[in-house]
Amino acid sequence: MKNFEEIINELLEMVGRKSVTVEPDQLSRFRVDHLTPQAVVFPKNTRQVSDVIRLAHTHNLGLIPWGSGTHMAMGNPPKRLDLVLSTSRMNHIIDVDTANLTITVEAGVKFRDIQARLATQEDRCYLPLEDLATEADEVICSDRSHSGSFLPMDPPQADKATIGGIIATNAAGPRRLLYRLPRDLILGVRMVAPTGDIIGSGGKTVKNVSGYDVSKLAVGSLGSLGIICEMTFKLLPLPQKMETLLFSFKSFDAASAFADQIFETSLLPAAVEVLTESACSRLAMEGIPNFSAAPCGVAVALEEFVPAVSRMSDELTAMAKSHGAGTNNSLDDHQHQAFWLAMSNLGRTLESENSGLITLKVNTPVSEWAKTFKTLEATFSEAGLPCALQAHAGNGVCLARLLLDGEDNDTMEKAVDTVNHLSNLFSEKDGSLVVQTVPPQWKANLNIWGNPGSAFPVMKRLKEKIDPLGIMNPGRFVGGL
Amino acid sequence: MMDTQTLVDRLGEIVGPGNVLSSQMDLMLYSYDASPEKGMPDVVVLPSSTEEVSKIMALAHKEKVPILGRGSGTNLTGGTIPVKGGIVVHFSRMNRILDLDIPNRTVTVEPGIITLDLQMEVLKKGFVYQPDPASQKVSTIGGNIAENSGGPHCLKYGVTSNHIQGLELVLDDGTVVQTGGKAWDKPGFDITGLFVGCEGTLGLVTQAILKLERAPEAVKTMLAIYETIEDGANTVSAIIAEGIIPATLEMMDNRVMRAVEETIHAGYPLDAAAVLIIELDGMPQGMEECATKIMDICKENNVREVKLAKDEAERATLWAGRKGAFGAVGQVRPSYQCCDGTVPRTKLPEVLAKVIAIGEKYNLPIGNVFHAGDGNLHPLIMFDERDPEEKARVQKAATEILKACADAGGTISGEHGVGLEKLKETSFIFCENDLAFERTLKQAFDPNNIINPGKMIPEAVCH
Repeated sequence: MKNFEEIINELLEMVGRKSVTVEPDQLSRFRVDHLTPQAVVFPKNTRQVSDVIRLAHTHNLGLIPWGSGTHMAMGNPPKRLDLVLSTSRMNHIIDVDTANLTITVEAGVKFRDIQARLATQEDRCYLPLEDLATEADEVICSDRSHSGSFLPMDPPQADKATIGGIIATNAAGPRRLLYRLPRDLILGVRMVAPTGDIIGSGGKTVKNVSGYDVSKLAVGSLGSLGIICEMTFKLLPLPQKMETLLFSFKSFDAASAFADQIFETSLLPAAVEVLTESACSRLAMEGIPNFSAAPCGVAVALEEFVPAVSRMSDELTAMAKSHGAGTNNSLDDHQHQAFWLAMSNLGRTLESENSGLITLKVNTPVSEWAKTFKTLEATFSEAGLPCALQAHAGNGVCLARLLLDGEDNDTMEKAVDTVNHLSNLFSEKDGSLVVQTVPPQWKANLNIWGNPGSAFPVMKRLKEKIDPLGIMNPGRFVGGL
Repeated sequence: MMDTQTLVDRLGEIVGPGNVLSSQMDLMLYSYDASPEKGMPDVVVLPSSTEEVSKIMALAHKEKVPILGRGSGTNLTGGTIPVKGGIVVHFSRMNRILDLDIPNRTVTVEPGIITLDLQMEVLKKGFVYQPDPASQKVSTIGGNIAENSGGPHCLKYGVTSNHIQGLELVLDDGTVVQTGGKAWDKPGFDITGLFVGCEGTLGLVTQAILKLERAPEAVKTMLAIYETIEDGANTVSAIIAEGIIPATLEMMDNRVMRAVEETIHAGYPLDAAAVLIIELDGMPQGMEECATKIMDICKENNVREVKLAKDEAERATLWAGRKGAFGAVGQVRPSYQCCDGTVPRTKLPEVLAKVIAIGEKYNLPIGNVFHAGDGNLHPLIMFDERDPEEKARVQKAATEILKACADAGGTISGEHGVGLEKLKETSFIFCENDLAFERTLKQAFDPNNIINPGKMIPEAVCH
């Protein structure tokens, strides 16, 4: 291997001095768990990404992609790290085709800037536009329509996340109930393979069966098969009306009975989110009536035509009352948007307050969400571990956040044991438990991704074939891939 | 490769001699599908369980015999043609519903189940499996998965890939693995997503977990009649631009309507240039408003008349015509070639005009019946395959049509696959790097190149 200085010189020649940093102060901001990169590179387009990766391939350098860093706590500790590749300069919206309801963007574009770009001429937007500092002024442009459209995703940290990061992690939130997952919305991708080759798949059409669906393979692969550089998505017309119903219940059983009854009807809410009081109380919502939900709250998002929203609102309110719902608030358009943005930032809020925060994402079959929720609640309560719980009820997803003090080693140890116990429990039941965030020093003691299942050998074959040197995000993905 | 008789005997040991077919007559029956392609297998085997499929695959692996799965053979691009001979695994005996799980909104099935049979079964419980390829009466779920089938309702609900939650797969060496499951978000690569639409080139599917949705409360079906095909195409873009996504937006031109009326009598206007079948579904609230808006848009685009299906019977008749269109066209000329090119929907008027011009240039009758809302064209070039000169013209015309689609920012196949038919045309949309990456994926699953070889990816050109 050449010495690293020579490699850096090669890099500088490729992308220019401004696009590489080796400043120790800067580098420390790009630590991934226990490792600090030797350089951070900021390519400005797909071609430059290709050049950088070709270099990494030639010199066998470990490379980790970085969007806005919202998900960098995910995954196993990296096996090695030489270069961080930041997508922050790849922030161009390449093609907006609202007549065809598609958008093509570079990986570093912020989710909020996509939504802002798709807003109506009257500034109706899927996110609370006035609350957001958008990156670039040019997102306000003249060809916006009157009806508007949006990218129907609901990722964590919706105001901060980049689209590349959302896709690499297949990140979703409560409103996946109606809009499904990023994997269902991606139409095409241009990525750079670990060899440096630029490869494309899919395109601008909703239907496309020409060749393997490489986009699906890229979604959720945590950059372990290559760098996703450009993506095309399917859009939806902006809902005519958006409203949120907030209910509080005296017991979890009442809340879950209400949620389950919703799924017995033909109503089509965008989200049915069940939360413990410890979660509700931390939803930071300026200018929104306090959602006091002791001991359990349910938030329902409605995004539909006006008459459909009004029918759902009436029927669901009556239904909630029949289950003994107490306080009842309804938020519309702007407050609705602010509420769900706050929901997407709940993890960030709790992380800032708890140095030892551990976030778990537990999936069990859809119908078992309430049982899973109760198991989690009981287990943590018995172990004396304070937690905030929420569930995407219709999708069988529970998010558990252990609110811990990172300095308190005894409690942290107990938490790690409890998590490992639960991980085994859920994997035996055809489910999965993924540790999404945990202070890095505890990662070695945890099964971060849970049991990868019988398809793991296929995944390994794929990884070894596509990235034989193991340079892409080394070791961080499932099973150490 | 072992001799055919030994292969037949060994397969007989796995599935019982009665479930192995090897007479010339039998083999002939498995030598074609709904495309004009042909190719003879060496042997056909009808397994009844995953275990048997696994053993068959292990045998093929050991002996390096080509192997491919087959459902009902409705494939339009030659995906089920055994071009290199070998074993055809026909899944007709693996056609059971294994687990209809309403609380989890899934149904687990074997691959040989007929799509419509499954749909009728789940509908009894008030649920739907959305993808509705026109061949649903005959096609199998296994085939739908291999081809990532579409259908009219994909406009609103997405293609097969969006409705498959998990698979049981038999890999090249006979290993059985599960991907996905009843719980969502299984960590790891989306092998399910990669398998759907792989045209049977990565392995065999032996079980599938499908997503179910509650049947919509209300449905409204309209037939909009046009004097020019262009007005119809413009209506399609205008509806979407207005922020309305109907469940379907299907178009049929005069030539196809004539063929349909001769056999199905769906009541289409024979003096019109084109019709659109527009269907709305979901909650009834807001539907009336949407329907009114759609009618206004139709009028702005010079519609002659919009008919509303009054009841379920009228709706069924309108759809019977659409779904029987391919068959009806077969009555006009002995053969047809269906080009499956897809374009961004705003390009429809432009590309349709090109299709018509190409038909005139090659002096071939072309009928258009297609998923307009998705921009998914289906020009049907009608011909007589016994006439080699005509057949050659058809090939040229088809290639030009696909080129026109690719040039308009579209693709060469929306829902039928590349198969054998469009191997050459992959160059319209892929560069050599793209194809090389696909070959890498193929090799990861099938290093010996025995699983449905010769399909989908053109062989590498040696320089």
